Amino acid sequence: MARFVGRKLLHLLPVLLAVTLLTFLIASLLPGDLAYTILGDQATPEKVAALRAQMGLDLPIWQRYLHWLWDVLQGDFGRSFRTGETVLAAVADRLPVSIELMLMAEGLGLLIGIPLAILCAVRSGGAVDRFLTGLAFGKLSLPSFMVAILLIYLFAVTLGWLPATGWVPFTEDPIGNLRSFVLPALTLAFAEWPVLMRVLRSDMIATLQEDYIAMAKAKGLHPARILLVHALKPSSLTLVTVTGINIGRLIGGALIVETIFALPGIGRLLVGAIYARDFIILQGVVLFVAIGFVLVNFVVDMLYAVLDPRIRHGRA
Amino acid sequence: MTKGARLLVLAAAAAMFAAGPAMAQKQGGTLTVGLELDIPGFDPLKVGVYDTSANIAASLILETLVGLDENGKAKPKLALSWSSSDDFRTWTFKLRPDVKFHDGTPFNAEAVKWNFDRQKDPKNNCRCAFYIANLLSVDAPDDLTVIYHLKDPAVNFPVLLTRPDQNSSIHSPAAIQAKGDDYNRNPIGTGPFIVKSWTAGDRMVLERNPSYWNKGYPHLDRVVLRPLPDSQSRFASLKAGETDIVWADEFEADNIVRAQKDPTLQVLSYAGSGAAVNAINTKVPPLDDVRVRQALVMALDRKKISQALTNGLARPATNPYGDGSWVKCKDDGALPEDPAKAAALIKEYGKPVSFKMLFTATPRGRANGQVLQQLWKNVGANMEIEQVDQATFPPRAFQRKFDIIGWRIVDFPDPDVQMYANFHTGSPVALANYSNPELDKLLEHARVTPDEAKRTEDYCAISRIINQEAIWFWTFQNTYYAVAKAKVKGVPKLFGGVINVSDAWLE
Repeated sequence: MARFVGRKLLHLLPVLLAVTLLTFLIASLLPGDLAYTILGDQATPEKVAALRAQMGLDLPIWQRYLHWLWDVLQGDFGRSFRTGETVLAAVADRLPVSIELMLMAEGLGLLIGIPLAILCAVRSGGAVDRFLTGLAFGKLSLPSFMVAILLIYLFAVTLGWLPATGWVPFTEDPIGNLRSFVLPALTLAFAEWPVLMRVLRSDMIATLQEDYIAMAKAKGLHPARILLVHALKPSSLTLVTVTGINIGRLIGGALIVETIFALPGIGRLLVGAIYARDFIILQGVVLFVAIGFVLVNFVVDMLYAVLDPRIRHGRA
Repeated sequence: MTKGARLLVLAAAAAMFAAGPAMAQKQGGTLTVGLELDIPGFDPLKVGVYDTSANIAASLILETLVGLDENGKAKPKLALSWSSSDDFRTWTFKLRPDVKFHDGTPFNAEAVKWNFDRQKDPKNNCRCAFYIANLLSVDAPDDLTVIYHLKDPAVNFPVLLTRPDQNSSIHSPAAIQAKGDDYNRNPIGTGPFIVKSWTAGDRMVLERNPSYWNKGYPHLDRVVLRPLPDSQSRFASLKAGETDIVWADEFEADNIVRAQKDPTLQVLSYAGSGAAVNAINTKVPPLDDVRVRQALVMALDRKKISQALTNGLARPATNPYGDGSWVKCKDDGALPEDPAKAAALIKEYGKPVSFKMLFTATPRGRANGQVLQQLWKNVGANMEIEQVDQATFPPRAFQRKFDIIGWRIVDFPDPDVQMYANFHTGSPVALANYSNPELDKLLEHARVTPDEAKRTEDYCAISRIINQEAIWFWTFQNTYYAVAKAKVKGVPKLFGGVINVSDAWLE
């Protein structure tokens, strides 16, 4: 077990190197010289050259990357040239917001998707199944910003039940904090549940046709027990994979939702850094997002073994 | 009177109230302001330039030597009086005594000089140095006297210091020296509000300064600044009561009209000077031929563009000064809107007319581009839309790597700074690559003549040359908006687009 974990963590390193190097290369291809952006209106060719030399921008790409890597290994992730805050502080301030949003969004998505999937699988082909499938496809075609604005106008402006924008730290006001995440999480969950529902539904339909399910019915077990204990677990492999991928994507921040609801999350930090050519912030954020993504997939791999004994024993 | 005009009068009346003694205003309360963008910081060396959101915050925390009264003329703030030499190159300011920064250190002439020297020092490589290029040096002969030495004369120099921007706001030297890199997020000024807390991307909370030099002010206990980048949710937050006043612009025309009809809201609007403009690179064919340039300008139908982009809210511009400027021209030399004549000029030119125009990669930029593209196609000119992100715009502009580029002349109490920068031969932002000795002479004359009527003549002559040569063209005047709850009073005119709530109160 320990060897398994150790091997997985070793896989983390090449992935991180590849991701950060790729980001470095792509960012350096962006038009709009950083020196010009900083100097602005007084960008004479001599000043630009001097600033580039001072910031090390005239060194070859691989050398700049290695400098950055060396600093990171010593724990120095750098500072934003615009705001002066350290990368660690910037990420640490915003990561909890994005993580909480991601957990609530995925949780709500599962909360909606799983029961609906079970319902559809049990009465597959029936009126309910067809209606919910149609609804899922219909929902997939609604863009998230439309859903967000509709939710704001319904719940915040008209009914006044929930805040339209903003965020309160959990430590300051737990209820307020959760309330401020409901609409953003719902917006994201609305985009998630169709896929989760469809995926679980297909797997469950296949599982329900297995022999051991027929045997459980013959034994006279309660239908709920059959569904939830015997059928759900082996059908969840794809669901877990998709959830893992979604969480990984959401760790990178949900930019549209963060912008509309004015949440100080990773997405806005990331995109803001790109627009301002704040490469240090960009590299640091990408690094942490990549770590998060790999760790989540690691957890997913572990979950496979937990959910399906065949995998657990087959691999051992 | 239209609803909008009625509201304008109400707002003006409320603003006049604010200028008077603190009598009818109510003390206390928290005002929440919805900004457009997040603020990166306040240290001029780090951020280079303050955008409107930073200006709004700076007007509360920091102060300038001179303020603007209701008519856009200079009034005392941190400086009590000023005088100049005969050639308008040396300006002496007498400072207000007994003013302290939030950290308790004294505000004095040495502090003003220290701020200036730091921004000007070439070792600091401050982007902000560009805007004080005309200021050679600052002397502080005693605690309450500051002397500015200018390179070129400026008859209206005091009003140039009124904007709460990166150059004119005075920071505490002690605080900058003590905090270094951290000062950027912890500004210390002399203003009516002190920074209590600041969560990046979320909100900035400012508390009343109990030792503010202007007794009786501010009225509010607290101001909360929240960046709300999406215009729809920003308006929704106002309607839901989460904010009390929000920044808006004419592209949110639907929301503004909705707010005008809503009795619980008020729309503050200010017809500023300046305009949204476009510069034509006169060195690039076919734009090097004046007939082509004139045709492009005559092909515009500003009313139609205004209707398409801002539901008719945008006001057409025919010169760079606008209704909000003290420069009023009987004849600004504007070319008529005449597509038939434009098409004829293109035909006369003979060769195919094809060029690119630079826009920001936003839905607004795209819409603007498509409208212009269509209007020009109608007269036989082929424009290709080139969209780049905001960071690429300045380099492309300064390197003159464009055919036509969008720009802006912002609302400012005096036209000299921007007109000289944009049109004088040799200026880094003389974007049109155009040199005209007569134009240069007029610009130079306007900045040394104290007589406003004579300066108006100069500026109108300048406008005639620019319009006839069609080296730049103007689409719409600057109209600045803020939408607020009806209970918000005491917000002055939105000079420079800055929503200044330092003297505001809640009814």
